Amino acid sequence: MAERVFITGMGMITAIGDTVAANLHSLRQQQSGLGYTRYLDTIYREVLPVAEVKHDDEALREMAGVPGQPQYTRTTLLGLIAMQEAWQQAGINDPLREPAGFINASTVGGMCDTERVYFDLIDPSKDGPFLQYIDTLDCADSTQRIADRMGFTGYITTISTACSSSANAIMYGARLIKQGLQRRVVCGGTEALTAFTLNGFNSLKNIDKQPCRPFDQQRNGLNLGEGAAYLVLESETLARENGSTILAELSGYCNSNEAFHPTAPSPEGDGAFAAMQQALAMSGRSIADVQYVNVHGTATLNNDVSEGKALQRLFGREVPPFSSTKPFTGHALAAAGAIEAIYSVLAIRQGIIFPNLHFSEQMEELQIVPETRLLEQQPVRTVISNSFGFGGNNASLVISKYEG
Amino acid sequence: MEELKKQLKAQIIEALNLQDIKPEDIEDNAPLFGEGLGLDSIDSLELMVLLERHYQIRVEDPREGRKILQSVQSMAEFIQSKQPA
Amino acid sequence: MKVKCYIQGIAAITPQHTFEGDIFAQPLESCSSNLLSVREPDYKAYIPANSLRRMSRMLKMGLTTAIKCLQDSGLGAPGAIVTGTGKGSLQDTERFLKDIRQYNERALNPTPFIQSTYNAVNGMIAVQQQCTTYNNTFVHRGFSFEHALLDSMLLLQEGTPHTLTGAFDEMTEEHCYIKSRIGMWKTEKVNSAQLYEHPSPGTIAGEGAVFFALSARATAQSYARIAGLQLFYKPQPGFLAAALPAFLQQQGLSPRDIDLVLTGRNADSNYAHFYQQLEAPLPGACQLPFKHLCGEYETAGAFATWLAAHILKAQQAPRQWFPMVPAFPERVERILLYNHFFGEQHVLMLLERAGAHGG
Repeated sequence: MAERVFITGMGMITAIGDTVAANLHSLRQQQSGLGYTRYLDTIYREVLPVAEVKHDDEALREMAGVPGQPQYTRTTLLGLIAMQEAWQQAGINDPLREPAGFINASTVGGMCDTERVYFDLIDPSKDGPFLQYIDTLDCADSTQRIADRMGFTGYITTISTACSSSANAIMYGARLIKQGLQRRVVCGGTEALTAFTLNGFNSLKNIDKQPCRPFDQQRNGLNLGEGAAYLVLESETLARENGSTILAELSGYCNSNEAFHPTAPSPEGDGAFAAMQQALAMSGRSIADVQYVNVHGTATLNNDVSEGKALQRLFGREVPPFSSTKPFTGHALAAAGAIEAIYSVLAIRQGIIFPNLHFSEQMEELQIVPETRLLEQQPVRTVISNSFGFGGNNASLVISKYEG
Repeated sequence: MEELKKQLKAQIIEALNLQDIKPEDIEDNAPLFGEGLGLDSIDSLELMVLLERHYQIRVEDPREGRKILQSVQSMAEFIQSKQPA
Repeated sequence: MKVKCYIQGIAAITPQHTFEGDIFAQPLESCSSNLLSVREPDYKAYIPANSLRRMSRMLKMGLTTAIKCLQDSGLGAPGAIVTGTGKGSLQDTERFLKDIRQYNERALNPTPFIQSTYNAVNGMIAVQQQCTTYNNTFVHRGFSFEHALLDSMLLLQEGTPHTLTGAFDEMTEEHCYIKSRIGMWKTEKVNSAQLYEHPSPGTIAGEGAVFFALSARATAQSYARIAGLQLFYKPQPGFLAAALPAFLQQQGLSPRDIDLVLTGRNADSNYAHFYQQLEAPLPGACQLPFKHLCGEYETAGAFATWLAAHILKAQQAPRQWFPMVPAFPERVERILLYNHFFGEQHVLMLLERAGAHGG
């Protein structure tokens, strides 16, 4: 019998808060993190809203405990800060006692810092401290710096499947546990805003100049965000042995592929439907058991149509309350799946359903509308969290209340 | 107009790296997408880049783009409508 | 892990003539520029022209290798597509960075951005194969391919009938220069065929795309079985002395059971000490270095796995590629692979002849 996988610690930093508690507070206050960038060097500074973490790199270095060390990129710093909270919450003091794996997710590695010095890097006549950034461009850089700083001794790797990266990291960590290769794995992702990704999505004409409006007829694209989020996963055996506080159970997951187009989902949401359906089947829950869906809901024209259709196909007339929390955090790409997995745990533990901000008009293609109110005292026992990405990569997680 | 369409065809072939297709193979009114040249949504974004780089015309809304990019004819008409008479 | 993992299909685009023809008859290709570049096939035979026109080099290499691998396996669409890459499509990343600067963030072509995404090759294979199941991409330097392999083995254990598992990396002049600034490559130009005669700081760069079709069931067509895999992150300098015997013991083997050792030796004097530790626990074992064939890159381990699989199936090595190796064993039942990437990610892998050991 495969081990059950429990969530025993969480840590995060986003535009709406530096900790899990601060995020919860902002969600309850319905306080969006969207605004104009203070730190990004781009001509879109006052044109395209982003959800930026409200500290400059130097302040983040202080928070992460590595002041004055420029080789820690913003990607790494955000990750370190979230990781330290996750360890603290899970009560991990001695990483040697139980080797922990670290499955990280990243879309563009240390691009945030590299892009500022790239043309000096390739210019032989230029020399200087920027050479410290040479090896920070790839995705492994932040993973290894975080792993080294914390003292991880188990499996260490990085996943990059665009916007579903950290959901896939969580899935991979859970599978390592289920097959007995590791008893504790910390999974999640980290993402810093970059001119590279901002221009990338803008070249796809996928960025709204207004705060994003998921599942709204007038939606016109996403807003990028940044942040990091990690979840500590433990096997049931370890959690019991260790007396861990069990926050929730990761009861199901599925990764499926659209096999349709490099960047667009299939119009009927085939991949999204398959991911949700199979993840739910694995969890042993039925559609009637789902009280909330934290949708991917990027507010791009395509995503919301296909994800909405998938919801209608799966739940029929009984679509549970669903919302996109991207109007709070922006789309934090590789970190999004882990951020929203933590929000799903919070929904269960706090009995709360988060509002889908900025919604006003039902989409003509759909019969459903997102939940726009903040609902408290809800009996939330099972949540589906969706993360879908380029390359047709769809990941759904099912997170359930721990009931023994 | 004829000159513009001819130029546009060459630019399309170059921008999209169309293989084994000459400007005269593209009919003015033939649909560029789906059946016609077999272009897709990424090509349509690249064609909007073409409009911006060569003709300084920016198409903001991808939905609007779809109408403009129906054919070489519709592209040429759009370009002309944007150019000072 | 208990699962049996058989290599059922294989394809490789590398600096050697590995894509088509009989590899045992192909000459050794070398270069003197400290960068071994791949020999690209004619992609038109594998990818329709209308799809090719937008694809960058890495995507063409990756997709073509994947298609050829599935053809070789005779298996249908895979139950999962799992890959590893250290750098993804480097040319696209470079191009988009330059476009942003050249066009001052305006009127940017989205294609290089889309293709720079690390899982772009995976997405493309999924579309081509109409494969709607599991799809994942690992991007962790010298563990990229190895975690793709580990993930695939987990999938086989979970019941996926077969996986398409691969690795790809490319090297550009520009990136080669960037990495030279932190001393990754030799400062003197070395002929790759004589690599091992030039111990000095740094090595030579390489690239390649290699795919495998993996299955839990052996057939007459199986190349080899991947019997063991262990990863070590930043281990102590002397770790192999204990780790290697322990690894073999886990498989119920003794050093005498290893017929051939594939070693990632690359004449980089900064990290040569790791490879020197292979001698003591495996006295007298025939060692085959492979970096003079493919150069050093994040997923070079996939090239070594490809080589091992061919040797185990054919029961011979492409000897012309190894003028520096005086004698080869008569029979090859088991191959041990040891490789690391600049001293950080270390890998031990055991490959066995398929079918020979009750499997």
